[in-house]
Amino acid sequence: MSKKKDKGLYLSDRPPLTAVKVVMLALSYILLFFYVFVILWPLAQILFTSFNGNHGSYIQIGVSFTFSTKHFQYLFGETYFLNWVLNTILIALATAALTLLFVSFTGYAYSRYRFKGRKASLMAIMLIQTIPSFAGIAAFYTLHSIIASIAPWFSRQMFLILIYAGGGIAGNTFILKGYIDSISTELDDAARIDGCGNLQVYRLIIMPIVRPMLAVIALWSFIGPFLDFMLPSILLNDPKAYTLATGLHTLINDVRNMHQPVFAAGGLLTAVPIIILFIALQKQLVSGLASGAVKG
Amino acid sequence: MRYPATVVDDIGNEHPRKNLLLAPDTPADAVKEYKTRRAEVLSQEKSFLRESSNRKKTFRSEDDDSDPSISRWLAEAKESEARAAFYEPLADLDYDFELRQKQNLEIARQLPLIASARRAVLDELESARKALSEAKAAGQKEELAIFKQARKDRLTQLGDEKSQLKQAYRQATISSKAFTNEKREGGLAAKDEIRVMRRQLPINAQKERVRYARHKLRQDKKSKLRVLNSDLSDLRRKTPVETAKRKALISYLTWPLPGLGQLLLGQRLKALLFFAGSLFTYLIAIPYALGRGNYRGKGLYGLISLAHDGSRLDRSVIFMVEGVIAIILLLMGLLILYQSYRDVNRVEKQMIRGVRLHNWFETRTSVKRSGFPFFASAPAALVTIFIVLLPIAVTILISFTNYDPSHQSKFNWAGLANYKQIVLGQGIAGGPFWHITGWTVIWTIFATSLAILIGLVLALLVNQDRIYGKRLFRTVYLLPWAVPAFITIMFFSIMFAPDGPLTNVLSSLTGQITNIKYSTWGTRTVLILLQGWLGSSYVFLLCTGILQGIPNDLYEAAKIDGATGFQATRHITIPLLLFQTAPLMIGQYTFNFNNFSIIYLFNGGGPFEPTKYGNIAGSSDLLISYIYKLTIQKQYQGIGSAITLIVSLVLIFIAWFGFSRSKAFREERL
Repeated sequence: MSKKKDKGLYLSDRPPLTAVKVVMLALSYILLFFYVFVILWPLAQILFTSFNGNHGSYIQIGVSFTFSTKHFQYLFGETYFLNWVLNTILIALATAALTLLFVSFTGYAYSRYRFKGRKASLMAIMLIQTIPSFAGIAAFYTLHSIIASIAPWFSRQMFLILIYAGGGIAGNTFILKGYIDSISTELDDAARIDGCGNLQVYRLIIMPIVRPMLAVIALWSFIGPFLDFMLPSILLNDPKAYTLATGLHTLINDVRNMHQPVFAAGGLLTAVPIIILFIALQKQLVSGLASGAVKG
Repeated sequence: MRYPATVVDDIGNEHPRKNLLLAPDTPADAVKEYKTRRAEVLSQEKSFLRESSNRKKTFRSEDDDSDPSISRWLAEAKESEARAAFYEPLADLDYDFELRQKQNLEIARQLPLIASARRAVLDELESARKALSEAKAAGQKEELAIFKQARKDRLTQLGDEKSQLKQAYRQATISSKAFTNEKREGGLAAKDEIRVMRRQLPINAQKERVRYARHKLRQDKKSKLRVLNSDLSDLRRKTPVETAKRKALISYLTWPLPGLGQLLLGQRLKALLFFAGSLFTYLIAIPYALGRGNYRGKGLYGLISLAHDGSRLDRSVIFMVEGVIAIILLLMGLLILYQSYRDVNRVEKQMIRGVRLHNWFETRTSVKRSGFPFFASAPAALVTIFIVLLPIAVTILISFTNYDPSHQSKFNWAGLANYKQIVLGQGIAGGPFWHITGWTVIWTIFATSLAILIGLVLALLVNQDRIYGKRLFRTVYLLPWAVPAFITIMFFSIMFAPDGPLTNVLSSLTGQITNIKYSTWGTRTVLILLQGWLGSSYVFLLCTGILQGIPNDLYEAAKIDGATGFQATRHITIPLLLFQTAPLMIGQYTFNFNNFSIIYLFNGGGPFEPTKYGNIAGSSDLLISYIYKLTIQKQYQGIGSAITLIVSLVLIFIAWFGFSRSKAFREERL
């Protein structure tokens, strides 16, 4: 109905625009579009650079555009890019799976059981989750060499996974515990009367209800290893074992191995799936952050 | 010392003493008489129990059933009946006899019922099997044909329903949502009906009967015996015990060996669990602490010697890590010892009061229930201890040593020397500490505030009701958050490199060569702007979420009261936004305080300014990237650890401060 324009009659709910308001609105649009430009320009540069065959090892300005996939060919042919992708995905998956496993148990136990030392250990968990992940920086190397001497199959990547998963236990336990707390215990009581054991109650009653929160926790644990640069750069020393962040860094941090457009190509390939993930799941991601922050 | 006149059972009821030997104020001749009677009864009981296996054999031959469980139960029930009859006249002599009488009575009552129920299920199973083989022999061709026809009919009916729905939807009598829902519901109902019809086919129906009977056979045995067991332990709880014991001696004597005390008390299952703990303490924890089974170190002693008496290849840091591992293992071992002592002590003290100790059934049930949280969180706790806490403990210890480039293999305890260097700003590594701290604070405040400002303004602008294309703006503004930060940072680093594209642009704009990366404040400004760009998305998303949740009534009320749009924004929107996002914003400040990636990847902490920052740090280094350079690149682990510790303490304090004021904490909903 509102689409029909009735000349002379003002039908909108809103008050009519005054001249000042028109100016303000125009200003708003200008600002918004300006910021759209600020965001899109660098991203567009990455996009165009990666497909521009006229770039050499360095990115230069004012180079004309010729479509070419040579940077991508270099990326797949001459670098360990596929290894990096595989490593990162494996590390991310393992981190998410481990975190979910640990946190399911702890979150359930802390929410549903009253046991000795519960309050004290909750306090400890709260303190632990405030410790930044780099606090053990000086010991990671040595600790890994000790574990690897007992179990030679324990690679640096596995240690990285354990650090990511272990570091996430405290905070995520807290988030999940809070979420399970909000579910009425009458459901579990009913299940117990029907003969469910501890794990059955979790699997059949609690888990289906907390699935959204588990998804958020898994998602964040999965994304973490994609974004982190510091820990892999400390722990991983074999270029084949690198994750995407450390691997792509090798393409621009050394003059002898400088391939800036190839970096742009790799960055593009990394960014696109993550962008899609973020846009598709932005609601869950933001709600996860918000609930994580309620704890402080 | 006298025994009290009454005993208390597990549920708290008081009972008079039956055992006159332990009762106070009993005449001597009564005690004497009781003593002889008791000795007599005990010998009677012995001979009675000796006969039990013979009796069982006869009972077993009396009513033999093809099912072994049933014939065993029936025999046991008869034996229990005999026992109950035997104990009945003795019940006022001792609570043990009373308990046995009651328990045997209960067994004699329940076991025949369980047996007959099982018999019925067995019969049902047999008849079902017979019916199944008959049905198989008869075949089900006809029924199958009927079923297929019925299925076909049902499916065509479903098709009709669907087309009717479609028509209704086309004519706009139902909404699209109702259309899809109804369609799904109809499909499910049809599927269900077809499944029921298939089940009713003769062979399938008999198969189902057999399956159900077999399931019931398995399940009934378990659940009914569990009921019997819990009824028996109920009787145990209600019947007290009398013991001559006055002190919890076993717990005092057996604490060094967890499991022994439980075994002496007769709790075998528990003893087994605690023996496993003893094995850990004596075969793993203590030998490790003494230096056995270490990788290179010497257990606890390694913490004192720090490898100085070892070979040239021995490294102090390994000795230190293994020393800390030894401490953790020892603490765990001690915890097991203490828990075992407390358990035995508690059980003994309760026995003195009159409470019967738990039998295996009760122990198992209580371990399953109250032990679950411990078993469930044990793996997480182990990982947290060894992967999170252990490295932190080692870092703390290293900060008190002189671990630096000239002491890589062997280092010494150095007390507070590192902290002194840092605080006074002395030495190669400690010198630039205060300069870096200053820049870190400036960086944190400006970079975060800029991001918050941009995000907030964008959110307010986009959420005006006259702006069209909200979805588009929101998607674009999400991008800096969605693109992995390291990619954008590295890309901007390329752009601002000497001869990089943006450097050239800037140079042509200013008319002189402007190398951002060579200028301290140039780098710093670009870093802050870049972080504003990166961080604004997150703030924007948060604020948008909250803005959409603010009820419209507030604005209407404000408008009626004569507020302009600007006033409404100032007095309603912004306070609400800031109030709700405050903890997250604090999180953003701590995040930037530790923002290693942007500093390290943009300019490597540079440019260098040796007169002020020495040779290790650059002028845009934050504390976190300085720590990285000290500990990972330049091998000043001692000072690096000390700075790590200071930074961590500050961060923990801020986080704790924020948390202790949060709602969840104040309402004590832990």
